[in-house]
Amino acid sequence: MNGTNKKSRSVLSRKQFLKAGLAGTILIAAGGKLMTLDQALAEARGKYALIIDLNKCTGCRACELACHQRNELPGDMSYIRIYPKQKPDGSPYFLPVQCQHCVKAPCESVCPTGATYHHESGAVLVNDKTCVGCRYCMVACPYDARRYDEEKGIAEKCWLCLDWVLGGGVPACVQACAPGARLFGRLDDPDSEVSQLIASGRAKPLHPEFGTEPGILFYIFPGE
Amino acid sequence: MGQTHWGWLVAIYLFLGGMGAGSLLTAAVVELTGERYKHAFCPTTLIGAGVSGPLVIIGSLLLIFDLGAGKMEPWRIIYMFTHFTSVMTWGIWLLSLFIPVSLLYGLMEIMDNYPGILAWLRRFLKFLPATLPYRSIRRVLAGVGAVLAVGVAIYTGILLSVVRAVPLWHTPLLPLLFLVSAGSTGMGLTIDLGATIAVPDVARRFHALPIIHIVLIGLEAVLIGLVLAVAWLQGGVAAESARLIFMGPHAVIFWAFVVFPGLFYPFVVHAYAIGAGRHGFISGILSGAGIVIAGLFLRYLIVFSGIPVAL
Repeated sequence: MNGTNKKSRSVLSRKQFLKAGLAGTILIAAGGKLMTLDQALAEARGKYALIIDLNKCTGCRACELACHQRNELPGDMSYIRIYPKQKPDGSPYFLPVQCQHCVKAPCESVCPTGATYHHESGAVLVNDKTCVGCRYCMVACPYDARRYDEEKGIAEKCWLCLDWVLGGGVPACVQACAPGARLFGRLDDPDSEVSQLIASGRAKPLHPEFGTEPGILFYIFPGE
Repeated sequence: MGQTHWGWLVAIYLFLGGMGAGSLLTAAVVELTGERYKHAFCPTTLIGAGVSGPLVIIGSLLLIFDLGAGKMEPWRIIYMFTHFTSVMTWGIWLLSLFIPVSLLYGLMEIMDNYPGILAWLRRFLKFLPATLPYRSIRRVLAGVGAVLAVGVAIYTGILLSVVRAVPLWHTPLLPLLFLVSAGSTGMGLTIDLGATIAVPDVARRFHALPIIHIVLIGLEAVLIGLVLAVAWLQGGVAAESARLIFMGPHAVIFWAFVVFPGLFYPFVVHAYAIGAGRHGFISGILSGAGIVIAGLFLRYLIVFSGIPVAL
């Protein structure tokens, strides 16, 4: 029970708590501007993208470990898995895969309880109060991004560290990435670096042929 | 190898759900065509209607046992009725409707065959009449039950076929195969196995049923062939799945536990039965047992050979 509480995923309740207690009373500095916490939180609402530059990824597994620790996952479980791959010329590269936060998420449509849902930020989340642990989502996800917590009996996944993100921060995997291969930013701001990379076609979805339309994760593939 | 998220419990459920639905369908056909009333005692409707509910209940319990949080906190199962984009939600509705109808249908069959039950019940429930209009009640239950049974049998296939991530499953042939196999296992259990044991001269009674059954067996063989051929021609992990089944590590199960006992042998037995107008006691039982075993291993092969797409 303790484990569940420590790792509470209720983004909204945290936000509401902050709003109720502190809104308007604290001035914080964000990007050189002075604003109330309320304004800062409102500012953090939006759509996001996470781009992984496979030319920079060294396969060091710092993201995998940061995810494991941040989410207090059992054993050596992580929401990120790193696949060793080969370029056409035979040289190796690494492909880190986590939830792609698909627009047409198969895990969401097959979920019999509606426990899997889309957050307004574009992130696909799991309600651990209504998940029954049928694992249909795990069968349906072509990216194999779901992880089954045996103890809680729930199929979990990357949730983009939304509590940090909505507070103005970045996900744990982005913080931890030593070679700076992970780029996190606003998708709803056309001038942001991530938006530009996606618009220019340099950053692409992984396996678009799966038809799930990845919404947050994009990749810069080797040599591009 | 194949996907690892779903295992034996799901495979057995798919089998029991299909066979329960098929048993009720068999009973309903015999009931609604009036075949039942040509004989003083009809073992097929009694067994078919009687076992369909319990089989599906056992299967559903296995599904609940396979859940994670839903097993520890069963009230969560109520949420499973709410999300209609999921085939699993259709399934839980179908099961919830099928189970009471099939139980009631089975009860009506049993009470009609054993009038002592109603007499005994009337000692406690004084409002019950001395006799019930069994025939009309049964006809309604058989009709409604048959529609639900087709739903249950098909949905077990759709559950898998909507999964694009597993190319072997992602074909509309799969629900069709599961429906045909449900009908065949239902007939195998209730007629070939059950009725043959209950009334050994049952072999001489039915004329249309062996023809229906042999058509189902033939159709099942064609559909299995098509599912494998489609997977093979797709290449990639779909072809790997097909290879697992008919020449890889699962090939022994495929040929020795599905093709021979469930398709080849019953086909020969039923072809002989149609020609001779009867089938033997032993061959009837062997064909029924073979079909049932093959039904289970067919589900096992499909579930365990489903290889997910590669990243």
